[in-house]
Amino acid sequence: MNKAVIDPSPTDWNGHIMQKRIASRYAAERRFKAMGFFAVALSTLFLAFLLFTMLGQGLRGFQRTELAVEFDFPALTSGATAASVTGPNADAALNSMDIPGLVELAVGQQYAGLGDSLLTSTAAANVRQMLIDNPELVTSKQTLWLPADSRLDVAFKRQGEPAAEKTVAALSEKDALRTGFNWTFLTGADATDPSAVGIWAAFKGSLMTMAITLLLAFPVGVLAALYLEEYAPKNRLTDMIEVSINNLAAVPSIIFGLLGLAVFLTIFGLPRSSALVGGLTLALMTMPVIVIAGRNAVKSVPPSIREAALGIGASPVQVVFHHVLPLALPGILTGTIIGMARALGETAPLLMIGMRAFIPAAPEGFTDAATALPVQIYLWSDEVNQGFVEKTSAAIIVLLIFLLGMNALAIYLRNRFETRW
Amino acid sequence: MTGTALLFLVLGLGLIGWIFGRARASGFVRKAKGGPRGTVNSLPYYHGWFVAICSVAPALLFMVIWQSLSPSLVTNMVLSAPIAAELPQDTFARAAILSEARAIAQGFQATAFQDMSDKLVPLYKGALSYYKWLGVAATLLLLFAGGAFAFTRLKPDFRARGKVERVIMFGLLLASLIAIITTLGIFASLIFESWRFFSMVSPFEFLFGTDWNPKSVVTPGADNGYGAIPLFWGTIFIGAIIAMVVAVPLGLMSAIFLTQYASSTVRKWMKPILEILAGVPTVVYGYFAALTVAPAVRDFAVMLGVSNAASDNALAAGIVMGVMIIPLVSSMSDDSIAAVPNAMRDGSLAMGATKSETIKQVLLPAALPGVVGGILLAVSRAIGETMIVVMAAGYTANLTANPFDTITTITVQIVALLTGDQDFGSPHTLAAFALGLALFITTFFLNYVALRVVKKYREAYE
Repeated sequence: MNKAVIDPSPTDWNGHIMQKRIASRYAAERRFKAMGFFAVALSTLFLAFLLFTMLGQGLRGFQRTELAVEFDFPALTSGATAASVTGPNADAALNSMDIPGLVELAVGQQYAGLGDSLLTSTAAANVRQMLIDNPELVTSKQTLWLPADSRLDVAFKRQGEPAAEKTVAALSEKDALRTGFNWTFLTGADATDPSAVGIWAAFKGSLMTMAITLLLAFPVGVLAALYLEEYAPKNRLTDMIEVSINNLAAVPSIIFGLLGLAVFLTIFGLPRSSALVGGLTLALMTMPVIVIAGRNAVKSVPPSIREAALGIGASPVQVVFHHVLPLALPGILTGTIIGMARALGETAPLLMIGMRAFIPAAPEGFTDAATALPVQIYLWSDEVNQGFVEKTSAAIIVLLIFLLGMNALAIYLRNRFETRW
Repeated sequence: MTGTALLFLVLGLGLIGWIFGRARASGFVRKAKGGPRGTVNSLPYYHGWFVAICSVAPALLFMVIWQSLSPSLVTNMVLSAPIAAELPQDTFARAAILSEARAIAQGFQATAFQDMSDKLVPLYKGALSYYKWLGVAATLLLLFAGGAFAFTRLKPDFRARGKVERVIMFGLLLASLIAIITTLGIFASLIFESWRFFSMVSPFEFLFGTDWNPKSVVTPGADNGYGAIPLFWGTIFIGAIIAMVVAVPLGLMSAIFLTQYASSTVRKWMKPILEILAGVPTVVYGYFAALTVAPAVRDFAVMLGVSNAASDNALAAGIVMGVMIIPLVSSMSDDSIAAVPNAMRDGSLAMGATKSETIKQVLLPAALPGVVGGILLAVSRAIGETMIVVMAAGYTANLTANPFDTITTITVQIVALLTGDQDFGSPHTLAAFALGLALFITTFFLNYVALRVVKKYREAYE
């Protein structure tokens, strides 16, 4: 038999060996804590780096380079008056003025020898709009600032092609270039020329898609959550519904795109790349998120409220729709906004149903071909033209502002209205 | 009259039905002055709802059925006209002419490319308007019939509330069933299209072939370039290896730091920041990976002396994906560490262990199942992620373990196969569904196991 050998002398806590051991244990403690701090700091730094990169590049996307072009309107238009470009005949009068020709002539006279495409493709349309806004212009000699060509834009803001840099240097000497706010970017649509692109069409497409998604996913999600929490009997069907919802919440988004392609486009024959199909697809994806958030909100309503309502003679349906649902609504709304924010940033399923087409105008109806903001970002990121880099980042800034706004709203709603029982 | 206008008309008439029903029931209440409601069984607005539901529901149902039925009725009517005998016998040419004529008649298309189409346009216009008005008339007839039926049923002792509540319960059940229908829809469409794909390309080639270079015309028995092993490997390498090497240590350590060490102020500020990381859209991550991280990784590789570093390397996509996953790993670990009973931690601390020793030797082993479940969920999320890899990883299938090389994934190939003007029945399109099925099964399995593990673990400490 072995006898355990016990050292009868007490541990010498202040001895050299023990002190060294404790020091090394404390060092390990500090190292571990530092590692934790490092992990959090690294994640934060990555986020900060990402945001700064996007801001640094994107802010330039909201600016455009403008070129001063002098128009001697009385000479160019052979005496058009302010009255002739207003009123019902304005369109015909402006058309007969051949504005693209005027612009070409004016630029050719002033900047001879600096290449032929100094202005962006929409410059003539800009002049036309200026004349409509202010018909008085046409009676005198005017200097108009028109958006410059994308190559010059890139060269003026940062390093561009050598030829464009040369032109920019020559123009800068004449003080003919300035930086202005790029309104076209907020009001325009996709274009092949980066200095003429805008995000309004994609943004409108996103809004329409989101409208369909909300319209379908919110009622269905809330009703399903109420059924599962309040009425569902414990049986096979209920189990199947629960498994389906938990599974749908974790299915990769691209699979929903495949479903949309196979079912909505091929079987139902709905119009390809429309906001309707995009909204339907995203609604299927968002619905489980709303159901899960809704169930948690409904669950947190205390049973005493239900019992009180039942006690004074309300029917089960009245209990839920008159008492439980209004109390759970802030929580449900918070979950809905978060789900909608996720859907707004979603790209892959929309690519599957063809929302990646080149859409040069904002969609008018729900069945028109449309694109969405994240898809537009993806499409621009694929462009070779250097001018698209800053436009992509600028579109990302717009998207992030909206997402942060939605999330902030959700947090506000949660803090303002959620009752702790 | 368009479908939308008819829909609003139906809903408007339903509202009128509601008002009439409610007014009639109010009349009962006024007449029966016994108690507060006299002998009237239900509140007046339940009567209103009863009338509205009885009139609108059948009309809406009929509209849906008519919408799906009328196209074939229209085609039949056009084909029964004598001029239709001139149509070519070839089914494909026939269908092309018919669909073109239809598009012109509906105003979707301006001019015909085929001569025959122009002759059919008036026929189509006639048939379309005939069936449209027939549908409108039948819808309104149903609506009024339903409304009238409901209106005659209204009596003081009519149990309107019970009827309306039964409809509401049915609606609730229907809403819940949509989840099952969606799941079945996903499963059925993936299975069906994959089955069509596997009738062209052998499943053996798909599952075990190592050559991914899909041909648009397949020859049975030959190698058609549909070997998906490089894609499976790429998906695992980027999503389950590189991304997890980044996400697991960072996420786990963040969770430990925030729950065990950080002061409450730090925690209050850092948790939302981590949540923002989760809320950034993947397309933004993808752009960032392609624009900033990938060139940096390539320069780094060149500095290390790796000569063939690609600009669309696997490492950049994996790192950025890992960062995206950090919040998920962190919050799952957070939950599982918080679920460990305090007695275990207090016991360890009371024995003289330092905080880090307690965490490493007591908390983490106890929380391990929950953490593993969280990591499985993270893997499932990473392999299904699309935009980061589409934008940052490459399109070339490569069976390599070199992280500086181009590697493609399942999701990238699904996107690549479905872009371009492919006919829906082409092997390219169908191959995308087969890849989708593989992805769906894998993520389903991972999620199922992860949820089981987490649930079991929670129960162990409850």
